[in-house]
Amino acid sequence: MTQQKRSRVREYLSGMARPLGETALAIAIGLVGGAVIMLIWKYDPLHAYIALFKGAFGGVDEIASTLSMATPLILTALTFLIGVKAGLFIIGAEGQVYLGTVGAVAASLFVLPPGVHLLVALLFSMVVGALWSLPVAILKVTRGVHEVISCIMMNWIAVWLTRYMVNYPLVDPARSEKTITVAPTSRFPILIPRTELTLAIAVSIVAAIVIYYFLWHTSLGYQFRAVGLNPEASRYAGINQLRIIILSLVMGGMTAGLAGATQVVGRPPTWALYGTLANIMNLGFNGLAVAMIGRTHPIGSIFAAIFFGGLYTGARQMQVPGPSPSLPYIEQLGEVVRGTAGAGVTIELIGAVQGVIVLAVAVPGALDMLRKYLRRRRGR
Amino acid sequence: MEAASAVAMKGIEKIYPDGTQALRGVDFFLEKGQIHGLLGENGAGKTTLAKILSGLLPLTAGEIHLNGRRVRFAGPWEALRKGIGMVHQHFALVRPLTAIQNILLGQEGGGPLSRLEVKDAEKQVTEIMKQSGLNVPLDVRVELLPIGVQQRVEILKLLYRRAAILILDEPTSALTPVEVDALFEMLRQFKREGKTVVFITHKLREVMDITDKITVLRQGKVAGVLSTAEATPEKLAELMVGMKSLPAETRSEKPFGKTVLSVDGLRVRNDIGGFAAKDLTFQVRSGEIFGIAGVEGNGQTELMQALAGVRKIDKGKVTIDGKDTAGLGPRELFKMGLAFVPEDRRRLGLVMDFSVAENSILGMEDERKYLGRLRQLLWGKIFEYTRRLIQRFGILTPSETTPAKYLSGGNQQKLVVGRELNKEPSILLVAQPTRGLDVAATHFIRDLLIKMRDEGKAILLVSADLDEVMQISDTIAVIYQGTFMRVAPARELDRRTIGLLMGGVMPT
Repeated sequence: MTQQKRSRVREYLSGMARPLGETALAIAIGLVGGAVIMLIWKYDPLHAYIALFKGAFGGVDEIASTLSMATPLILTALTFLIGVKAGLFIIGAEGQVYLGTVGAVAASLFVLPPGVHLLVALLFSMVVGALWSLPVAILKVTRGVHEVISCIMMNWIAVWLTRYMVNYPLVDPARSEKTITVAPTSRFPILIPRTELTLAIAVSIVAAIVIYYFLWHTSLGYQFRAVGLNPEASRYAGINQLRIIILSLVMGGMTAGLAGATQVVGRPPTWALYGTLANIMNLGFNGLAVAMIGRTHPIGSIFAAIFFGGLYTGARQMQVPGPSPSLPYIEQLGEVVRGTAGAGVTIELIGAVQGVIVLAVAVPGALDMLRKYLRRRRGR
Repeated sequence: MEAASAVAMKGIEKIYPDGTQALRGVDFFLEKGQIHGLLGENGAGKTTLAKILSGLLPLTAGEIHLNGRRVRFAGPWEALRKGIGMVHQHFALVRPLTAIQNILLGQEGGGPLSRLEVKDAEKQVTEIMKQSGLNVPLDVRVELLPIGVQQRVEILKLLYRRAAILILDEPTSALTPVEVDALFEMLRQFKREGKTVVFITHKLREVMDITDKITVLRQGKVAGVLSTAEATPEKLAELMVGMKSLPAETRSEKPFGKTVLSVDGLRVRNDIGGFAAKDLTFQVRSGEIFGIAGVEGNGQTELMQALAGVRKIDKGKVTIDGKDTAGLGPRELFKMGLAFVPEDRRRLGLVMDFSVAENSILGMEDERKYLGRLRQLLWGKIFEYTRRLIQRFGILTPSETTPAKYLSGGNQQKLVVGRELNKEPSILLVAQPTRGLDVAATHFIRDLLIKMRDEGKAILLVSADLDEVMQISDTIAVIYQGTFMRVAPARELDRRTIGLLMGGVMPT
């Protein structure tokens, strides 16, 4: 028995070696691609990448900032990957995030004791996120509407509905560009003072672990995966596919809603939603990229989100002016490593470099999905 | 002999990327103007050899000579340019296009934006049809044509491209006896025109009927080459199977028990709204294998789907142990004692990306015995159960966590059959249980079914393999266009009678 267990562990690890190797290769290709872009515009890629790493993981504050960036992305990645596992292509996280945020802010209209208030805010965001996914589920189940189409439509409705909520019912009477600040009783505790990192990160990580457990260790999760991999065989085995479609969309809506909540009750210093939606924009769509980087695995998503978060927090340090070119190269590097100099890369170019890296790193995960999708279409 | 050969393949070896060695040094000589039979069991390497000759597969080792000159094909288009064309078992037709559009496909001529000119081509094709006796309605969409006519479209496609060597892979597998006769007449006409035909089959009587010469393959090697004149079915069977005789037919010795599955006036629709099964009435008793023979596409698939709860029953009544099954899905039927081995294990019976263990509980994943208090799957228990399954049914797999897609076809089927039998059903539905399996796996599965019957299970068998139905059934029904032509004890029906009934002909 123990020997069997040991061999199973070994098998599991060797099964992980290939995806990890592929992802490492993809990261290397992405970095080289980004370096080429920077060389074309005459920036020093070595400086830039050292600055990027320094800005993302160079100290406690930087790490805190990276983790706080990762917090909502883990959750929106979960939305997408739950769908992928059940055979759906859910791109509705964006709109569900918006409305989840609204739900969490709306919880501050009530007066409740601390802790309980936070739970209520989270519950609101999840319920609203789930409700926002229901039309997609109902259209799919009753009329066969493809989820991509209805998700896009629901996302646009969400944009304007949220703008309305921010500008009218939930507006801050003193500062009309944002909503009311959420009640202190509904806020996550700050983990590291003077940083954006709150206990919300724990919620994201626990959610990822719960989803992992659900998918691989419960009978319902088994049914999700069976339907996702072979809907026909699942039907023959008597699995109710309509139920799986509805449940996967609802679960995805819940994690996306939760992602929205973390941006208002779990992220200082704003504790509110801006009318431009700037502080929640693209979290849902970036979740797709994170899920693919994490090879559509819940635990992988945690690391992918941290990678993604680092890429964005590190950008600040990349913009800091580079060391004087008159210094010997080794001393230039020393300055960058110490953080007294950056790489002086313009923000627009940083966007391009980030894009290239994300694209490259998402390729293995995207190929996984494509292969599974084609196999499904061929019915194998 | 070698000198006169139109095609000489020497020392052909083929190893697939997954390591399977399909051909181990095959010599194959094809003489001009002959019909050459390529005979062998499933998996003997016939199709692989044909695909190499038609340029579809690269060879691992060996040489191909065409009219004395060594050739190498980068792809099927090159083989076709040299006059070698193949009709695959599964047709390569674009279903919504008409016959003539399919024939022209890839040969339209003109630029990408020019209009498709079919007039000239139609004239040419009509001429070919007149010469060869192949008749096809050219303006009808291919999906509306019967299988036999679709096959003719495939052959016309090759003739239009001036193929002189035609390779036909299992051309009779989906045809009615009448269509087979027509095909054979066509092949004889080809021969008279000096064309060469490679006829791939595993059916003895067909090679005896139509060919001039026979090459028998067994396990990737040539088991024998002989002229048809000196061949006998017994001799061919021996070369093909490597055994002295074909398996004997088995019949239940005990009288049947009580009725388990009762079907009364069952009517089922097919996917396009017509009737697939019309007014079928029959019973399957415990200790009985009830075999349904018939050419595929005569309603067997839909009948089984309806009984298994995945297709709506239009009219009629089905009971299991006397209990009505109306409106029940697969899961409820399983609880009533029904198990189902669907016809396509890869598509319907297994989730290929799931491990052997995961597949072993498909359809039973919410059974109490595998679940803990939180409805979590108890993988320890499931692995234990899987190991017992592997042992009991002799499934060859590296471990219980290996994905099912890495198992051979025979072991995949053992997994499906084993899973269904382990449900301890009172009625077992089995569709095409040995399709594509090798001899050993076929025997294993058939023996298993016989054993289950002897243990008192009721078994409903659907198979396109007439030998299989005749070998293990106690009662045989012949289905044709959704109705039973005849239902009788197996010993009262001979092969000729069943063959006629399958083609919709009442024997006199």
